[in-house]
Amino acid sequence: MARTATAQEQLFALRQQIARIEGTQPERLEGGRAGGEEVEKADDSAGMLVRRNHPAGLFPLGVVELDEALGGGLPRAALIEIIGRQTRDAAVAAGFSLALAAIARKGSGSQSPLLWIGLSNFFFETGLPYAPGFTRLFGITSDRLLLVHPKRIEDALWVAEEAAIQNQFGAILLELQGNPAKLTLTATRRLSHRARAAGYPLFLIRHAGEEEPTAASTRFQVSSAASTLRETIAGTVPRSIGPPAFAVTLTRSRTGKEGTFVLEWNSHDLTFEERQPVRGKPLQLDTIHAADTGNLAAASGNGSHPASQARNGLAAGRQKAG
Amino acid sequence: MLSHREDNTQRIAAMNEAAEALGLRVGLGIADARAMHPDLEVLEADPVGDERLLTRLADWCDHFTPLVAIDGYDGLLLDISGCAHLFGGEDALLQEVVRRLAAQGFDARAGLAPTPGMAWAAARFSGRAAVNIPAGGEGEALTPMPLAALRIAEEAQRKLESVGLRRVGALLNAPRGPLVRRFGRLLVTRLDQALGLVEEAISPRLPVPPLSVERRLGEPISLLDDIKDLLLLLARTLRQDLERRGEGVRQLTLSLFRVDGVVSRISVSTSRPLREPQAIALLFREKFAVLEDSLDPGQGFELVRLAAASTAPYVEKQEDLHGDAVVVEDERFSLMVDRLRARLGDAAVMMPTPAESHIPERQAEFMSFRDWVRQPARSGAHRFVMNGRGSGGAAAAVQQEEVTWSVSPRPLRLLARPELVEAAAEVPEGPPFSFRWRKALYRVSRAEGPERIEPEWWREAAISAARDYFRVEDMEGRRFWLFREGTYDGETMPRWYLHGLFP
Repeated sequence: MARTATAQEQLFALRQQIARIEGTQPERLEGGRAGGEEVEKADDSAGMLVRRNHPAGLFPLGVVELDEALGGGLPRAALIEIIGRQTRDAAVAAGFSLALAAIARKGSGSQSPLLWIGLSNFFFETGLPYAPGFTRLFGITSDRLLLVHPKRIEDALWVAEEAAIQNQFGAILLELQGNPAKLTLTATRRLSHRARAAGYPLFLIRHAGEEEPTAASTRFQVSSAASTLRETIAGTVPRSIGPPAFAVTLTRSRTGKEGTFVLEWNSHDLTFEERQPVRGKPLQLDTIHAADTGNLAAASGNGSHPASQARNGLAAGRQKAG
Repeated sequence: MLSHREDNTQRIAAMNEAAEALGLRVGLGIADARAMHPDLEVLEADPVGDERLLTRLADWCDHFTPLVAIDGYDGLLLDISGCAHLFGGEDALLQEVVRRLAAQGFDARAGLAPTPGMAWAAARFSGRAAVNIPAGGEGEALTPMPLAALRIAEEAQRKLESVGLRRVGALLNAPRGPLVRRFGRLLVTRLDQALGLVEEAISPRLPVPPLSVERRLGEPISLLDDIKDLLLLLARTLRQDLERRGEGVRQLTLSLFRVDGVVSRISVSTSRPLREPQAIALLFREKFAVLEDSLDPGQGFELVRLAAASTAPYVEKQEDLHGDAVVVEDERFSLMVDRLRARLGDAAVMMPTPAESHIPERQAEFMSFRDWVRQPARSGAHRFVMNGRGSGGAAAAVQQEEVTWSVSPRPLRLLARPELVEAAAEVPEGPPFSFRWRKALYRVSRAEGPERIEPEWWREAAISAARDYFRVEDMEGRRFWLFREGTYDGETMPRWYLHGLFP
C-alpha cells in the first residue's frame, strides 16, 4: 500500500510538471484518458486522483459567464485558492472568500459556523475580522464565527486539517501570507483531500502570494475594483461609494478556462452581479458623473503602484465606455 | 554552614552536624564563629532557593495525600486522613516518607499525630527521626517538651521561662484563667490545638480536587504511549465516579510523579462537562503533542494521577429522536474546540463578542472561547448552537440577540489600533484627498462622510476627542475607513487615523 501511495505521489508530481511545461491543467491530462480514469477510480477508493468526483456537487455563483468558465459553479467540497495581490488588500481577498462562503451557505441552508484561521501576527498587522462588518456584508452573525490564530504556520495547517476531518463547520478560511515554505504541494494536497471528504469548501487565502503549483481545484486572483456610485431612490449620490467590487481573475479551474470579471457584491441578497461594460440604467447614470471618476482615473497614471495600473485602467475604461 | 544578614551582622542561619559538634549555635555571629574555628566553610543562605525546594518537595508529597500545606520555611504538613491504609498503615507510611526523603538526600524529622499542632511538636522536639503519637497520647508526649513546641512567640516563651515554666508539662495542669490573663489567649489556644481540644485546619497549597484516580507503578514508565494507555485506563475509572455523581469534568489535571521526585502537571479544560474516556484522552493527546520535547521522563514515572479539578452537572443525553442528534453534534463540536484549545492555548481560540457600544473598537472585541462559553447566559440564549437547531429552541433566541449595528457601512477588518496617517484635506471639515499609510501614498478618488462618533465619556477616565469617520476609496479601488480626531482651530492640527479596511 505504501508503495502504491509513493507511486501515486510521483505520478501526481509528474503530471503537475508536464502541465506546467505545457501550460495546461493536470486534470486535463487525466481527462484525455477517460478509460484510464475509470481504472484509477476503481483502484483508489480514497479518491485521491479522481478529481472529477465532487460528491457535494457544485454551487453556482449566479454570474453566467463565470459559472460557465467554472463548468457550472464552484465545487462545494474542495480546496479553493484565493490570491490577494498585496497585503494591503487583505480585506478584499478575505471579503471575496466570505462572499463565496455566504453563497455556499445560502445554497445549502446550513447555519454551521465558519472557522477563520490566520496567524496571530498577520491578524495584528491587517486587523481582526470586524463583527459589524461581516455581519452586514455577508450575513454571518458573530456567534457563527470561530477565530483561531496560532503562532506557527504548522499549527494553522493542522487546525485546518483537523477541522475538516471533524466536519463541524460550514466553511473554513485559512489565511496565509506570501508563499510560505511550509505550504508545500503535499500540504495543499492534504487540505484538498480533507475538504473533499468534509463536503464543504476550504478557502486558502494567500495574501501577496505568487502563483505556485497547489492542489487547489480552483484559483482566483482578487483585487479591489473601483466601486460604482451608491444608488438611492432619489438617484445616485455623487462621489459616493457603492457596494463592494472585486476584480477577479480565474486562473485555474476544472475546465481549464480563464477569465477576468468585475463582480459587485449585493450584501442584501448575498449575490454577485457582474459589472458589464455596457449595461442599462445604473452605468448610464454613472456616466453623468464621468468627469468625476474619469479625471481621477486619469490621475492614477502618477500613482505609486504602476503594477496595478493595467487592471485599474481596465475597470475605468469599462466605466467610460458605458 | 550557612550565614544570613541580620542587624548588619552576618550570623549563622543553619549548619551541619559537624559544626554543631563544635559547639556553635544558630544565631551566633560569623566573625565570632570564625575566631573560634578559622577553617569554617561559610556560604550565604538562599531563602528564595530554599522556598523553591520546599515547594518542589510539597509537590512530591502529593504522592501520599492531596492535602499538603507548606509550614513556615522548613516544614510540610500532610493531612493523611484516609490515606494511610494505601501504604500499609500509619507507621509504614511514616517510615516510607522518611526513607524516601533520605534517599533524596534530605535529613528529615517526621511526626505523626492526631492533631497538626502535636505533629508539629513531635517532628521538632521528640528527638527521633520519626515518631507516631497515638490518639490520646498527646499530653504524655508534650509533657517533657520545651515551650517552643507550642508554636508560641519567642517573647511569650521568655516570659513563661522567667516565672519558671520551662516545660509544656508545667502548663498542662495549670489553671487556665491566670494563664490567659498573663500570657494571652494564643498560648491556651495552641495548647488546646496540640491536645486536640480545638479543631485546627491546615490550608493545603493546592486546591483539593473533588475527584481523582491514580495508579502506582511498580515498574516506572517513560514511554509516551504507555502514559497515553494509562491515561485512558484512569479516565475509564474516573467515568464510573462521574456517573455515580451525575457529573462531568470541566477541568482535568494529569500529574506525573517522576522517580526522582519531580512532578509534572498537565491541565486541560473543557467547554462542556465531559465524561468520555476517549475524549479525555484526545484532549491530552493535543497537550502531549505540544509538550513532547519539554516533558522529560528521566528515570520514568512511578505514579500517574488524573484529577478532576472542577466538575459540573452532566446533561444526560436526551432520549428524544431529534434532540439526541443535536446533543451529539454539540458534543463533537465542543470536543473539537477543546482540542484546538489544548493544542494552541486558550487565547488562540476566540469568538467575537460584540458589546453594546458605538465606539467601533468596543464592538469588535473578541473573547477567548473558554470565557465565551462560561459567561453567564445573556438573556439565556448565549450558547453555541450547531446547525441552527438548538435544543430548546435556543436558535431563535440567538438570532434575536444579535446586537443591532449602526446603519452606516462598516469595514471587514479593524486594525488592532487606529494607525496615524499623514493626510491632506482640501477643506478643514472635509475628507482627505490623499494620505500616507505605512509609507505608501494613497490618492482618494471618492469619499463618504463624515460620520461623527462621540466618545463614551461615562466609560472613559480621560476625555478623548470626538471622531469624524470617513469612508474613502483610492484610485485603485481600495476602500478604507479613516477618521479625524480634533478640528482645525488655528493652532492645533487635527490628526488622521486609519482604522479599518473594506472589501
